[in-house]
Amino acid sequence: MTTTVDSETPAAVRSAIDGACDRVAPTWPLDRFIAVNPYWGWRQLPIGDAAARLGALAGTPLTMPRAWFYDEWASGRIADRHLDAAAVVAGDPDLAAAARELVHAPHPSQTPALTRLPLVSDIIDAAPVPGPVPGRTWSDLIAHQIGQHCAGHFDEWQATWPGDCDHGLFASWCASPAVTHGFRWRDGAGWARRQLDSLPATPSDAVAFIVHELGIADEVCEAYLTAVLAAVNGWAAWCAYRRFQARLADRDDGTIVELLAIRLGWEWLLATDGDSTGDTTRTLGSLSGAWNGAGAVVDAMRQSQRLDWVLQTALERTYQDTLIDGFATARPAGDSAGVQAVFCIDVRSEVFRRALKATSAAVQTRGFAGFFGLPISYSPAGGAMTRPQLPGLLAPVLNVVDVATDRFGRPVSIKSSDVLAERQRRDAFRHLPSSIFSFVETMGIGYLVKLAKAALPHRHRPAKWEHEAIDRAHERVRPRLALIDDDPAAAAALAHRVLTGMGLLDGFAPLVMLCGHGSLSANNPHSAGLDCGACGGQTGEVNARVLADILNDGPVRRELAALGVDVPASTWFVAGLHTTTTDQVELFDTDVAPASHVERLSELQGWLRGGGEAARAERAGSLGLGTLAASTQRLERAVMERATDWSQVRPEWGLADNAAFVVAPRWRTRHLDLEGRCFLHDYDWSTDPDLAVLTLIMTAPMVVTNWINLQYHASTVDNGRYGSGDKTLHNVVGGNIGVFEGNGGDLRIGLAIQSLHDGHTLRHHPLRLSVFIEAPRTAIDTVIDAQPVVRDLVLHGWLNLLRIEPSNGVVEERTTAGWTSRPAHPQPKGATR
Amino acid sequence: MIALLDSVPLPNLPAWSTVLAVAPAMAAGITSFAVRRTSVATSWRLGQAATGAMGLAALALTAVRVGMGSMANGLVRVDNVTVSVLMLICLVGAVVVRYSSTYLRGDPHERRYVCRLLATLAAVSLVVVANQIVVLVAAWTAASVALHGLLTFFGDRPVAVAIAHKKFLLARCADACMLAATVAFGLTFSTLRIDEIVVRAVASAALPWGARVGIMLVAVAAVLKCAQLPFHGWLIQVMEAPTPVSALLHAGVVNLGGLVLLRFAPLVDRAVETRTLLVIVGVLTAVIASLVMTTRVSVKVALAWSTCAQMGFMLMQCGLGIWEMALLHLLAHSVYKAHAFLSAGGTVRNTQRRQLAIPPDPPHVRALVAGTLIAVAATVAVGAAWALSPGTAPLSATAWVLLGIVALALVPLTTPRHGRANSSLLAQAVVVPVVYVALHDLFGRWVPHARTTPIALLAVTSIGFGVLFVAQTLFLVAPHGRIARRIRPWIYAGLFLDETFTRLAFAVSAPPAPHARATPLPRAWVVTADPAPL
Repeated sequence: MTTTVDSETPAAVRSAIDGACDRVAPTWPLDRFIAVNPYWGWRQLPIGDAAARLGALAGTPLTMPRAWFYDEWASGRIADRHLDAAAVVAGDPDLAAAARELVHAPHPSQTPALTRLPLVSDIIDAAPVPGPVPGRTWSDLIAHQIGQHCAGHFDEWQATWPGDCDHGLFASWCASPAVTHGFRWRDGAGWARRQLDSLPATPSDAVAFIVHELGIADEVCEAYLTAVLAAVNGWAAWCAYRRFQARLADRDDGTIVELLAIRLGWEWLLATDGDSTGDTTRTLGSLSGAWNGAGAVVDAMRQSQRLDWVLQTALERTYQDTLIDGFATARPAGDSAGVQAVFCIDVRSEVFRRALKATSAAVQTRGFAGFFGLPISYSPAGGAMTRPQLPGLLAPVLNVVDVATDRFGRPVSIKSSDVLAERQRRDAFRHLPSSIFSFVETMGIGYLVKLAKAALPHRHRPAKWEHEAIDRAHERVRPRLALIDDDPAAAAALAHRVLTGMGLLDGFAPLVMLCGHGSLSANNPHSAGLDCGACGGQTGEVNARVLADILNDGPVRRELAALGVDVPASTWFVAGLHTTTTDQVELFDTDVAPASHVERLSELQGWLRGGGEAARAERAGSLGLGTLAASTQRLERAVMERATDWSQVRPEWGLADNAAFVVAPRWRTRHLDLEGRCFLHDYDWSTDPDLAVLTLIMTAPMVVTNWINLQYHASTVDNGRYGSGDKTLHNVVGGNIGVFEGNGGDLRIGLAIQSLHDGHTLRHHPLRLSVFIEAPRTAIDTVIDAQPVVRDLVLHGWLNLLRIEPSNGVVEERTTAGWTSRPAHPQPKGATR
Repeated sequence: MIALLDSVPLPNLPAWSTVLAVAPAMAAGITSFAVRRTSVATSWRLGQAATGAMGLAALALTAVRVGMGSMANGLVRVDNVTVSVLMLICLVGAVVVRYSSTYLRGDPHERRYVCRLLATLAAVSLVVVANQIVVLVAAWTAASVALHGLLTFFGDRPVAVAIAHKKFLLARCADACMLAATVAFGLTFSTLRIDEIVVRAVASAALPWGARVGIMLVAVAAVLKCAQLPFHGWLIQVMEAPTPVSALLHAGVVNLGGLVLLRFAPLVDRAVETRTLLVIVGVLTAVIASLVMTTRVSVKVALAWSTCAQMGFMLMQCGLGIWEMALLHLLAHSVYKAHAFLSAGGTVRNTQRRQLAIPPDPPHVRALVAGTLIAVAATVAVGAAWALSPGTAPLSATAWVLLGIVALALVPLTTPRHGRANSSLLAQAVVVPVVYVALHDLFGRWVPHARTTPIALLAVTSIGFGVLFVAQTLFLVAPHGRIARRIRPWIYAGLFLDETFTRLAFAVSAPPAPHARATPLPRAWVVTADPAPL
């Protein structure tokens, strides 16, 4: 599979192929559906340049329509002075007048259309000849055919009659009758077969051959190939995922080149179809004519989009003001607490942390990445599956397995019952062609009960699916990291790294809660997208429990002491899981807590219930349950019913409306209502002399928040390309690969409309992330200079970087030119959101 | 024993019961109009109330049937088929409306959806109770037209519009067949009451040729509306409508062909050419569609191919004259498929569950042979026990063919793995034929009828399912073998039957252009660059 780019291929084409393929960001499968910045491959370019190219090559905008900005201004979410400031940032103060004119006009104005450079399929579709089938365009049918072919090739879990995986994606496409017999070629199926047989067998050679045949010049080759891949964006993202995973394991995967060759194969077939008629010459003339002018199209687009970027920047700056004002009024608070609670940086934690603080002043909360820095994978008991429990950018190094103890705490071995094997066979009885008829006649009527049950409301949390296979005789099953027993010193070193990252090396409270998070939704193909992204689209339960287990272990604590971290004997770590859909928090392994902590734990549970009630009341309105906000019990029941409702397409709002990432001590934001829009990471620059922690934060959590932020952004501004469309049409492909919207077509990536919009208003305001870091200038600049990824994100405008001066809370922003101050502008309440 | 599907004239149904019988259709129909003027929230409440009223009326009608026996008049008939299918429609309708009320929330055209959904339910409920063939034809047409409105709910999607158009063309052909059948029956029997048509047809020594033509046309209409090959494409491709629409279509609309044939069962039994058509089309569809199903890559499309196959099986049963099993199949498949569609979002979680297990190796041929022998032995034992138990008739050739199909179905449960059979699965493998026999017996009492099946049709059935079993064994044992690999691309493409049919159909009438639709999120406005002057 690694021989897809052949040494025979001309160097110019080879580098064009690499360039085009590197633009495509990966998409994770649905059972590990983490957020991805779909523009990740473009980060080496300033965002304005990238947008101009994406517009010209893929026909995708990076900003909302101008009419939307017009409404935002009317709602007070864009301040005039920031239009001016944004024009200055854009390097063209004259744009301010145009921007003001646009928002002050009596009517909203329209965004100019994006001018996309044509592929052969576009030229044929636009030509006055009958299409392949009345009412359908070639572009649609090609996307559908490639979608079906790729799905058949990559599918592992849907089809019971598996496809041919021995041959490559490209080879099996060339051999398949779908292309030759599924369409009416002017010179017949035999002609199409001969054409396909005459293609070079190596995908990159085929690409070089076709590019040459189509008359694409070397200078625009990469741009053209980028546009070709953009036409199969979803499957390209899937291939990019395969490549990404392979590279994490020090291998490589070239299926994306095969996909490129397939889409190009279509271009070539269409261009040469009926070449006896002379159409081919005309088509190729149009193609090279359009692509020779590519540079001018991109330049014109960049020019016209400058105004859109001024509006976008002004919107973000106006939002930043609300935070800047708040930071200035923050006062450091005393640090003694009965309970320290570490939550994920996730925006949903902010609401809960605020609610918890309001319930009890004794709880001090902190923000840290929800996988708690553990590079682990997890193998549920009794099963054959192992899944990563860490951010998608990393590869796991340690494996956590379930261990079981009996009633008396003695370890017992887990025998997975025959449940799984039996289930496989019953599945076969339900799905094999010879069985389905008799299955329906004997078992079908039984679905009457299932149908009725599913339609009625549920009030209970379903059992964990991971443990369905375990014999019920086992009393307790816990995830356990073998490293704790095998090598306490290594476990302590790991714990030390984690605690350093958390900034929690001393001052331990008697009870420390490590709280992961997860969601609860029924019948939802994208449920993993609501779980903890830092845990690879799983709940954070395993990570929290394992870290608590490490830190409670006697030998590990002794080793930790040797490393200079003294965890008092009176301190106990307890793991928790915040269910973001219902705002309930479950504590784990409380049965093994020392007797001295039992009372504290029950006290904490009381506070967590109180915090949950307050958080639910705050979120009730956004879920359409505002009328129940006053009644805690009815609201809790309604939220639970909602989370378990099989017809609910909006179980929760996930990370919608995320807008900022604050890296600072908690006291800086503790007095603010951040409206669930901020990621919060605790950081104290004074304890980080070598900038190791800051570097980690800016290269890991900041990148993750950027991925989340731009996933929501892209899904909102162009749902057709980077979002997955209407959830009511979703059709799961390959068991876990992704979804089709409806019948088929391209694989759909990103978020559904229902995850962004409630039917009346947009729930996510597409603002690029504003990252506020409380640290000295030199510290931040050092990291920017040393880390290319950070430099790209910051200096190319993929996020906004601002700095809080530790001594006085004054804010500065980082532009390409350097640091400029951002004075506070206290505003009347309610003017902005 | 009442010869329900046979030739006995039914007693007259009192007028008040007529009201009860059409009440479900009226409740849904009137509400469908009422919701046009209400708020969105009210429209859903009204919709749920309407399905509640439908359910109550259907229950009352069942009570009437239990208390007073089967009856009919010039408009409607109340018998076991009526009440069982009506209860099914009401249940599916209630679940679908409730589901949709959450699922569709926030869509710009929610009210339009409620309106069309209720209109479809109203028309379907009328088909179920109709005893007047004109009413039946009109209601069946109305159901199809109302459903068309749901299938084009996303009218901005070119595929949705094109596929719905393909279905529209086929459905109108089916309607034309039904109208022609109406004329044929009317001219032959001088009545438009279905029960009278049946009674008079059976009374004549040989079926008059007008009736033969008429019943053939009804069968053709059923074939078209039940999405049989090669007219199946629309059913597979209408995933362009919201999930609950698919659930309703697959559970409550596509199977009406079976219901209509049930109404004319004695005529079908006496028209061997119609039976032959149904068996051949049904078996071919069941075999091919179920094989295609195993190659599908997306969950909803796999479910649709399964429906296509199941409808083939149902029509085959109609052709074989095992009407009680056709009714059972219709009902059981509906609830199963409604559940399968509505819960299709859980596919990912199910995949995760399956990932827990170690993937099985392809079964060895010897194990499969052993499994087949065990399955056959178990089924024969159950069949023999049934035949020998007091009060039952000896097993006919038809029954043995049916039990043979059941036996082949059991093979996945009985095949030994790693050299040993699983006792719990073996127990299930015995339970399945027992349940089958019991339900067969129960439904035999529910819709009794006399039966004779031509041996040739049984042979066609046996060969068809034998071939299916061999093909299945082939891809199970050697999924990457030479033969499996050569056949699969063609099966995956559905033998290109739909591509050919679509081209022909659209040559007759091209689909309309998609229309604009309000959308919550912005849509990119893109134009293609003009080529620079050469």
